[in-house]
Parts: sequence; structure tokens; C-alpha cells
Amino acid sequence: MGARMDDIQSVRTLGYSGWVNAQIAQPIVETYIAWIDANSPANKSGRAEFDIQVWKRLLSNTDQLRQRMAFALSQIFVIDVQAMPGGWWPSYLSGHFMDLLEKNAFGNFRILLEDVSLSTAMGFYLTHKGSASADGSGRVPDENFAREIMQLFTIGLVELNDDGSQKRGVNGAPIETYNNTDIEGLARVFTGWDHPNLVPRGESTTTPMKIYDSRRHESREKKFLGLTIAAATPGPESLRLALDRLFNHPNVPPFIGRQLIQRFVTSNPSAAYIARVSAAFRNNGSGVRGDLGATLRAVLLDSEARNAPASAGSEGRGKLREPILRFAAWARSCRVTSSNGKWLRDTDDPASALAQGPGRAPSVFNFYRPGYTPPGTEISRRGLVAPEFQITTESSVAGYLNFMQRAISSDNKFGNLETDYTDWELLANDPVALVQRANLLLSGGGLSASAITTLQTAIASMPAATAAQRRDRVQATMLLTMAAPDTLVSR
Amino acid sequence: MTKPTPSAATRREFLRRSGALAITGGAAPFALNLAGIAEAAAQSSPGYKALVCVFLFGGCDHLNTLIPYDTPTYNLYAQHRNGLAIAQNDIANTVLTPASGLPGGQQYALGPGLAPLLPLWRSGEMAALLNVGSLAAPTTKAEYGQASHPKPPKLFSHNDQQSVWQTLGSSEGATSGWGGNMGELLASGNGKANFTAISVSGNAVFLSGRNLIPYLVAPGGSVQIEGLRANPFGSAAVGNAMRELITNSQTNSWLAQAHMDVVKRSISADADLRSALAASTPPNTTGFPATKLGGQLAMVSKIIAARSQLGATKQVFFVGMGGFDHHADLLEQHQPMMGQVASALAAFHTEMNQLNLGPQVTSFTASDFGRTNGNGSGSDHGWGGFHFVQGAAVNGQNFIGKPPVPGNNGPDDVGSGRMLPTLAVDQLAAELARWMGVSETNLLQVVPGASRFNRISLFR
Repeated sequence: MGARMDDIQSVRTLGYSGWVNAQIAQPIVETYIAWIDANSPANKSGRAEFDIQVWKRLLSNTDQLRQRMAFALSQIFVIDVQAMPGGWWPSYLSGHFMDLLEKNAFGNFRILLEDVSLSTAMGFYLTHKGSASADGSGRVPDENFAREIMQLFTIGLVELNDDGSQKRGVNGAPIETYNNTDIEGLARVFTGWDHPNLVPRGESTTTPMKIYDSRRHESREKKFLGLTIAAATPGPESLRLALDRLFNHPNVPPFIGRQLIQRFVTSNPSAAYIARVSAAFRNNGSGVRGDLGATLRAVLLDSEARNAPASAGSEGRGKLREPILRFAAWARSCRVTSSNGKWLRDTDDPASALAQGPGRAPSVFNFYRPGYTPPGTEISRRGLVAPEFQITTESSVAGYLNFMQRAISSDNKFGNLETDYTDWELLANDPVALVQRANLLLSGGGLSASAITTLQTAIASMPAATAAQRRDRVQATMLLTMAAPDTLVSR
Repeated sequence: MTKPTPSAATRREFLRRSGALAITGGAAPFALNLAGIAEAAAQSSPGYKALVCVFLFGGCDHLNTLIPYDTPTYNLYAQHRNGLAIAQNDIANTVLTPASGLPGGQQYALGPGLAPLLPLWRSGEMAALLNVGSLAAPTTKAEYGQASHPKPPKLFSHNDQQSVWQTLGSSEGATSGWGGNMGELLASGNGKANFTAISVSGNAVFLSGRNLIPYLVAPGGSVQIEGLRANPFGSAAVGNAMRELITNSQTNSWLAQAHMDVVKRSISADADLRSALAASTPPNTTGFPATKLGGQLAMVSKIIAARSQLGATKQVFFVGMGGFDHHADLLEQHQPMMGQVASALAAFHTEMNQLNLGPQVTSFTASDFGRTNGNGSGSDHGWGGFHFVQGAAVNGQNFIGKPPVPGNNGPDDVGSGRMLPTLAVDQLAAELARWMGVSETNLLQVVPGASRFNRISLFR
């Protein structure tokens, strides 16, 4: 997410593996719901509390890996706080959903899948909440969740090998994982689920959906992906069988594994890397399938993630860092705090902000697709992908630079965000050390020798006689580092 | 002289293009790259033309977009809509009277929210496309059931069908679309090739050509990089370092290079667009609704009004609106959104007429897919849909295509009301490409499937 010198020292002390283990062992700091109840009891109907909390966590929580994983999962299991109905406490809905992602961040995928399927927020977002059985008039169950849980949350569209490559059928064509009949069958499983509708309305949205009226659950046979759930099987049992079927589908390890690699490490992992992560998903070493902690360890500690890129053959490595994570890296490097507890929101606009807001993807297809490739680039010519380029436009690149410049040069007051440049200012008289620190904390050591020279030369030309001038040097160093393509692309 | 076959022409064109690109080199400004492409077979239509794609993301519910009005067909519609039917009384004022009637006295009415489009229909500046959707080849219902019959990939999936509509057949991950490929053939007449294909709605594969890169502008216009406008911290050295880093960093990373290419295009397009807009008479955009789509189309109007300053003769635009995936609350939400679409489109065409560009600007709606009869609260992912084409050149006040029979696994649907299209996106795309000036010789480069389908009478 972002580092300060003490974070880096901690990694040095513990080692990569030890640091990951320590992060996984950290308990949840505070749930969204507990915070909202404690801090905003009078105003639960809005969306601001969610934005405040999600940004507070990204910018300041010490359980960085859980936050980073929850953020990554929120880009697979997508909901949007803006789409939560106003009368049902949107911050509660989205906050509770993030609580589920945090709770299961290093837990088991099967439990996560069930928690997500029964969350009222997802029920609103993908509209299976209140879906009713067919009534004989031609009306059929809502197919929305049935389709997207397969396409986006578990197995994807085509059959995969463990290394993420597509299986080939007749004539070498990809093999589709499901057809519309499977969706119609699975849609029957997601009928009758609703929430208790207590008063006050919002509070009940943290209770998992249940079947309150069994007549609304489809009683006919449910068939999908080769599974037949007998007629008259009750809803909870149907759900268990259906989720087990999805969870045990051979696509899940590479489908989820590849996306986690893309969020954490690189857009184009090798087949062998995906296969190693798939193996960890299939079996955590103790015979357990779906251990997300073990899967994440495999993602982060893989040799392909850890080894410095070789100079030759490394042209396609790495990923474009998400704007949210770039901003978080900068904010954490200067110990950002909020003067009024409101942190940040409304970062979605590409022209004036980050083109990305946490928990606010424009659709269930996230901010970008795992398979997006920017046309007209070497990336697409080589058959590679770069998802984050889907939100990278002529407007967004300028909007990002301007947003960073406003944040960095705001002299400790970017809205209510307060920065602490003390550590940095100690180095202001030494451009070499200043740039070295920026390279380490902001760029992950990514700046090339020529970029370092460009920065050092520019910074050295700035006067440093007064405190204000030394601050300008710090801010200029930060701005140039945050603007450098070597920083924007992590390799 | 023998006429070259399309494939030979395509090959030659490719060689010429790749040669031209190689000569100017990757580091040259993009405008130079494309300006260097000479067109041997010059495209034939002189004069400015613009095409505007209005994409309704999520799959617009077609059954409440264009509603059967004659009583027998209305009753079929109402019977199958599962509680989602709009009352016949509520569409009495939006009945579309065609220039020539439909067979059997069939009538259609606009969904009530689309009422702002009625004047365009009545003045002959709008046509309605019946049951249009993605097809790999003409397909009967029997053929749909045959595994061997070619069909579009990944039917009913949002992202894939958006891509199929925009690329004529490729699912997610495609790299060129028919708007971009059309623009690429027509860009030679444009002074600045990078203003040929313009999106005001973010990245859309529709506008990417095989070589042409679209320009993505914000609804508020281009964005200037503050650190290049004024030296940050009053230091010219910092300003210069910033420019050097963001446009000219030494790197072997394809991702970093791709990012720098976007930044370079951003800087150059901002300078060009800023001066062009300043030098042109801005259109009166007060009539545009204060909606996202209204703002996007207002920006398109401003760019079109600055076409001379931009040296543009052929332009393809992309605008979009999200939120059409109405699995629930269809009756509450869909018509107000239709109203947003209609009022923005009506304002746009009023503006085009005021610029005396009525016959030179055509817009059309598109969407992932049509939808199903319904689940009681909303409708699910379907296939064929109803769409509109606007502009004074259009063969307006007409229905184009075959009216589908509302039903559930009836003659025109493949179950639950998912309509099997009888009009292919390729047929629409081919006529739009011809109208824009793409020659018959080059048509297959834009619409590879054009020869598989009949022509339609979309323009006067």
C-alpha cells in the first residue's frame, strides 16, 4: 500500500515471509459498522461515512496487508456504495460488505463466497434479494446474480487449466463453462432470499439474507454445471450444494489466483506462476482448499514477485499502479492524518482527481477488466494485458498529475489531510539523499539511473536557504517522483 | 485495369501503413504518424461528416423502449411482460406514425420517457431499427439450435456483448472497433488525425482503429497539466524535469512507454483543442440537459463547432450512459433514464441543425443487448433490441427491419423473450460506414461481415 521507513525496517527485521505472516496475524482493527455506530450515530443514512472509513484505512491503518487484500477482493466481488438504496443506509450496507471482505481476507474462499452471496448489499447490487420463484405465468427468477457469480466471482467464461491457459475443445476452440440453461438453473437457487426488514431498516442489512417465506424459494429441480438439486430441496441446502459445486470447480484456483496476482504483482504472470498460486489455492499444505492466506502468500512470496526484473526480457513485466494505491503510497510516506476525521472522498473524476474511488466501481465489471489491453501499444501487439490502462486516458493522466500537485504542494493542508514532512525536510540540503528516499518510499526503488539524475539535477538547482525553500525541495522531489513513469509502473 | 480484390487491397494498405509508420517512427508525434499515411484510393465524399455512437451500457430494456401499440400486438406484449408492461394509455401520445405503414397495421409507440424524440421522428430525422443485434451470419431459429451454425461469442454477457457490438464479433480484449477502423480510412482528410475518433466517455474499443488511436476527452474539455503550464515551485528546472520524466523517461518497459504515449497525446491534444475552441464560435449549449450524457453531447457539439479550426472533415464520436442493467425496479428507473437519453439527443440534433449540419451529423444508439420478458421486477440479459438513428440524412420516420412477435419461445425469440436478431449490427455499421464515405472496396476493412447480409435503406 505504502511505506514509511519504519515499515521497511520491519520487513528487514522479519524477512518477507515473516512480515507477511505478521500482517496476516494482525487482528481486525475496527469494523466499519462499529466505527459508524460509535462515530456517526446520528447520520447513518448517507454515503460519506463509508468513503471516510475506506480512505482512512487505505491511508492510515497498520493492518496494511488485510486492507490491501480487502481492496483487491472488492475489485473481484464488486459493489458500489452509490448504487446502495438511500433508505437502507448505504454506508452500513457497503461498510458491512467491506467488513465481510476484511474478515475473510485471509480466511477461506468458500466462506467468503457464502458471506458475499447472502450479504444484503450484494443482494441489492445484483438484485437477487427478493427474487421469487417462477409463478407459471412466464415470469422467471432473476438471473443477475446467478450469471455474475459464475462469470466474475468464481469460474469465468471458459474452462481453464491450472496455469490459467484456456482448455481447448473441438477445432481448438475454447470450451465455455456454462450456457444459459445453467444460469436459469442456478437462478432458481437464488430465489426467496431476503433480509428481515426490521426497524430501523438499515440495521437489519448486516444480517445475512435468509428465506423468510419458503414459498418464494423455487421448489422445482435445479440443474446447473452437471449438478442436479432435487425438487423440494429447501433453500439453505440448495445454496450449500450450489456454492460447493462452484467452489470445487477446477477453474476457481487459476481464475481467482490470476486476478490476485494482477492486483498485487504483475498484469501478465507466467503460466508457471499462476500454476504455483493455483496449487496453493487447491491445497494450503494441510489439505484445505480455498485458503486465501496461503494463496496470498504464494502470490507475494513467489520468485516471480520477489526477484528484481532482469534487464532483458523484462519489458512486459509489472503493472500500472492503480491511482488509489499511488496516492496511498504518497500519503503514507508523510504520515498523513485527518484534522477533522473526514479523510477523503469523491476521487472518481478522471479530469480532476484519481479516476478511481474505492468501493465505487462503475459496474460489477470493476474499474477495469483483467483482460483489457490498450490498443495501439506494444502491450497489445505482444498479446499482453494491462487492466489499469482501461482508466488511463488523456484526461486522467493530466487529472492525476494535477491532483498530486495540489496534494503535495498544499503545505500540510490538502482539504482536511495533514502531512508531516519532518523526516523529509531533514534531507532537503542533500538532493542525493532526498531523491534516494523518494525513490525508496514512493517508487519502490523503481527510478532508473537517468530519472534519478534528472531529479537530482532539478532539485539541486532549487535554493535551500530558507525553511520554505527546503520545503519546496521536498515537495518538488515528491511531485517529480510521483509523476515518473518508473513510479507509475511497478515491476 | 483489374479491380483489386479486397484482400489484396487490405494487404497493400497494411504494407503502406506499416511502412509509413516505420518511416515516421514511434517517437514522432502521433498526428505526424497518421498524416504520413497516404490514401491511394481517396475516400470519395467531400464535406464534413460526423457519426456519434450513443452507447447505453448495461443492456437497454428494448421492450419498454419501443412498445407495440396496435391492440393485438400490444396484448401479446402485455401478456408476456410479467407485470412490466407500460399501459397502452400511457403511450397514446408517443405513437410513431411511419411514412409507410408496417404490415398488418402494426404500430409502435416510444416509451413515454422518449417523448422528446417525437419531433425528430415527425420531421423525418429519425429511424427506428427493429430487432437489431449481434449476429455472425443470418440465423433462423432452427439454425440457432445447431452447434455448427456460426454465432456471436459469449451471448448474454455484458462486457463481451458490448465488445461484440463495438468490434463486430470479438469478445472482451479486442483491440479495434468499427468506428476506429472507419475513422482510420477517413483520417487522411483531417488536418489533425488525432481528432478523428473522439470519446467523451472513457475508453471504448469502438473507436480504436488498427493503427488509429482515439482521443479521450473529458466532458469539460481537455485537461491541462498544471506543472507544465506554470513552473512548479517557481522553478523552470522542475518544470523541465517534469516534462522530461513524463514524456521522455528512458525505459525498456512497454507499460511505462504506453503511459508516456498517453501523456504525450494528452499534452498535444490539449494544446490543439484549447486553441481551436478559443478560436471557434462556441455553440449554444444552454439547451443541453444537465446530465452526464447531456454534458458529453455538449462537448461533442463544441468540438464539431470547432471542426474548421481542428482541420476535421470526418469525425467519429463515442458517448455513453450507464445503469441500464435493470434486473430490478425496471418500471421505476427505466423511463426516467430514457428521458435523459431523449432530451440529450434532441438537444444535440437541435444544435446540429442550428450549425447547419443537420444532414452531416448522424447519431445512433447502441447497447450490450436487448432484454427478456422479465422476472416481475426487472428483466434479464437478452439479445436483439430496438435502436434509433438520428440526423437529417437518415431515411427518417421509418421502421427498418422486421417487427418481432412478442412471446416466450415464440417464432422470434430463443426463450424468455430473448429476441433472435433479424437485423445485424453489421448491416447498421455498413450503411453508416458508406454514409461516412468508406468506399465499397474498403468496406470489408470496417465491416468484415458486410457481404454476409443484405443492405438496408438507412439513408435517403
